[in-house]
Amino acid sequence: MSSDPLRYFRVEARELVDQISAGVLDLEQRHGTDLVARLLRFAHTLKGAARVVRQQEIADRAHAFEEVLVPHRGDEGALPADEMRELLRLNDEIERYVAALEPRPDQAAAPADRQPPETVPHPEQLPAARAATADVDDLLDAVGETHARFAPLRAGRTSLEQLRRSAESLADQLRSGRPGSADTARTAAVRLAGDISTLARRLTDTVEQVERELDEVRGRAERLRLVPASSIFTVLHRAVRDAADAQGRRVRFDGRGGDLRLDPQVLASATNAMLHIVRNAVAHGIESEPDRATAGKTPEGSVVVTVERRGSYAAFLCSDDGRGFDLAAVRRAARDQGLLGPGDAEPDTQSLLDLVLAGGISTSPTVTEVAGRGIGLNVARDVADQLGGEVSVRTEPGRGTTIELVLPLALLSLHGLVVEAAGSVATVPLDAVLTCVRLPPEQAAAAALTGRLAHDGEALPFLPLARALYAGTTVPEGGGSAVAVVVRDGDRAVAVGVDRLAGTSTLVVRPLPELALAAPVIGGVSMDLDGNPQLVLDAPGLIAEAAVLGGGGAAPPEPARRLPILVIDDSLTTRMLERSILESAGYEVDLAASGEEGLEKARSRRYGLYLTDIDMPGIDGFTFVEQTRAEAELAEVPAILVSSRASAEDRARGAAAGASAYVVKGQFNQEELLAHIRRLVNA
Amino acid sequence: MSPGRLPELRDAFDRSFSEPVRRRNADFVELLAVRAGGRPYALRLAQASGLHPDRAVTPLPGPQPALLGIAGFGGAIVPVYDLAALLGHPVPERPRWLVPCAGAPPLALAFHELDGHLRVPADAVVDEPGGNPGEKVLRGMVPLPGGTRPIVDLPAARALVHQLTGRLQYAHEEQ
Repeated sequence: MSSDPLRYFRVEARELVDQISAGVLDLEQRHGTDLVARLLRFAHTLKGAARVVRQQEIADRAHAFEEVLVPHRGDEGALPADEMRELLRLNDEIERYVAALEPRPDQAAAPADRQPPETVPHPEQLPAARAATADVDDLLDAVGETHARFAPLRAGRTSLEQLRRSAESLADQLRSGRPGSADTARTAAVRLAGDISTLARRLTDTVEQVERELDEVRGRAERLRLVPASSIFTVLHRAVRDAADAQGRRVRFDGRGGDLRLDPQVLASATNAMLHIVRNAVAHGIESEPDRATAGKTPEGSVVVTVERRGSYAAFLCSDDGRGFDLAAVRRAARDQGLLGPGDAEPDTQSLLDLVLAGGISTSPTVTEVAGRGIGLNVARDVADQLGGEVSVRTEPGRGTTIELVLPLALLSLHGLVVEAAGSVATVPLDAVLTCVRLPPEQAAAAALTGRLAHDGEALPFLPLARALYAGTTVPEGGGSAVAVVVRDGDRAVAVGVDRLAGTSTLVVRPLPELALAAPVIGGVSMDLDGNPQLVLDAPGLIAEAAVLGGGGAAPPEPARRLPILVIDDSLTTRMLERSILESAGYEVDLAASGEEGLEKARSRRYGLYLTDIDMPGIDGFTFVEQTRAEAELAEVPAILVSSRASAEDRARGAAAGASAYVVKGQFNQEELLAHIRRLVNA
Repeated sequence: MSPGRLPELRDAFDRSFSEPVRRRNADFVELLAVRAGGRPYALRLAQASGLHPDRAVTPLPGPQPALLGIAGFGGAIVPVYDLAALLGHPVPERPRWLVPCAGAPPLALAFHELDGHLRVPADAVVDEPGGNPGEKVLRGMVPLPGGTRPIVDLPAARALVHQLTGRLQYAHEEQ
């Protein structure tokens, strides 16, 4: 295997062939010197590469391709039809030769056929899950970024070594027992403790950053598994082009929604069905040029394929601007084939379309090579049946037809907004999020009570997410809605109340397992870093749920207005971090940079809780707690000690001083802290 | 017979007297003694495909009160049902033990306490192949130290879950 001379050529040739195929089709629709120049470049590159690996057949055809294009280098006009056909023919041959180079399971090496191998199916060949270079680059960037985040950890090793030396020299000082050495040793010990806590903080930050980056890496890696919908457009475009050629029509192809990323299997099945549908659109739909002129249409017909996501489904639409379904012909054909009895009532448009979908009826007056024998829609219906999807037809006589194939998605990549409500974490698809609004407590209470939220001059239904997630059970006590996420679906919207936003992430959504029936607000599941399922919300489901729960009345009363929390810490970073955590959870926060300032503030205002560091110059955390316990006015206010000291002794000292809880910074866990606070503030 | 084989055979003969009589595996049943909602039960280990304590279960809002949520097992997403609720006596405490059931589609049951793992002679198990009338999940019982325990039949529990979720085409498989 190591001496496979074609290993890299295969990859390069495949990419070049893709670009040439798409380019030729573009050239037919959109003339221009830049496009000709680009095609020449691709063909030339392919020729050179093919010669290096002695693939003379490919090199010759790439050369012939260039020969056709060279005279048109300066032309803005269209290529003559016979030259276009020649380009497509050469393109097909190159494609077949390149496809034949793929190692097959039964033969280790590729055969060197003299003739273009006809056995390779074309153009039904389906898109493979091939990662786009840009995606791989993104992944590599993310890996690089993660790697860079390790730098502080590496530096931490050096710091640790210094700390070890300091500790050893401290031990030496203690051992020597020289007069006055106790004071020196105490100073050294304090300094050492300070250095250790700095390092611990730095390590904590670094670990958190690395975790975030790894999450990103995972998201990007999962995306590689999925294929952009645009990868099927070239095959469909070519099918439209060939069908148009066979029918003597001029048809313009347009692909939309190509950025959507889908499971390659779903995409392959859809491609198969869409090939028949687009050919049908040309054969049955698009009129001849004179007919179009009579109908007042442009000479060139149009076939548009659109791919869009609808919740956990993907919709593939094919719209043409042709003559529409010939419903009279369907009726006649149905009668001729005995599908409608003479006594049957006159079927309406939809029942006729259903008959076409059910199979056996083709409206084309002649059986053509491209349209087959009315199998077009049957294939689509079969694919839909196999995958649990649906096909529907909308047609307007004289105006055109839209065929819609909707397939459930096994996997879907999306960007999500991670939200938290009453201790639960869920993700809202970012494409459904219109905006996020901060909710002051009074406004949140009013919205929960009335079930409406005024936003942008509109009264939106308001759904506290906790109520939707704990439907039918008791909602655990939480901070209450602090942010409203406005989610829309089409022209409907709902404001979803969440406790806090926890960032965005790229995730792969899977369907719920078969034996888990869920409320409609749940659209699917994704896996978090620990391999635990996380809920992904569904925009239409949220809107429906808001309508079901209705406004007001049943809403649980919001907790009474809470007292503010006083945070005391000499580190600016810690103060800001704690403030952001508490504010996101809906608390009002005051800050103090020392024990002294803390005492002053505690005496000047009523607080619901004190959150204090231990190691501070001057009055330390233990003293602060003891002093506040000693004052009748302040003794009732619970105090939490937050420190990097983790020893049992320190905990015991904290408890003796009267602290209600003790949180270790090294193991700092937001949820744990908030849980303590909720317990104490609500008590 | 070669002279070397003789001592070997003699040893084997002697050894057969010094060891207790071994019964074939088929004569024993491996059971888990468990508690669900405070009541004692037994599960046949052969019907389970694992046993996990304290697995994170993500609660899932929905119409099924017995559905505790979903858990991740080796990349698969598995629905977790509360055994006590399936047996008709739910309690507010969330169970901490999970038993993934053998078979498809993926399913796990959760119970509150594990009393132990036992190996009992097959003939000690009182079989009730058809189950009791009105009793969907229990099949048979087994006398164990501390009292006789009803046996939770996991395929029957699975059948109940299939029924609850509207999956009626389930063909009952006997273990």
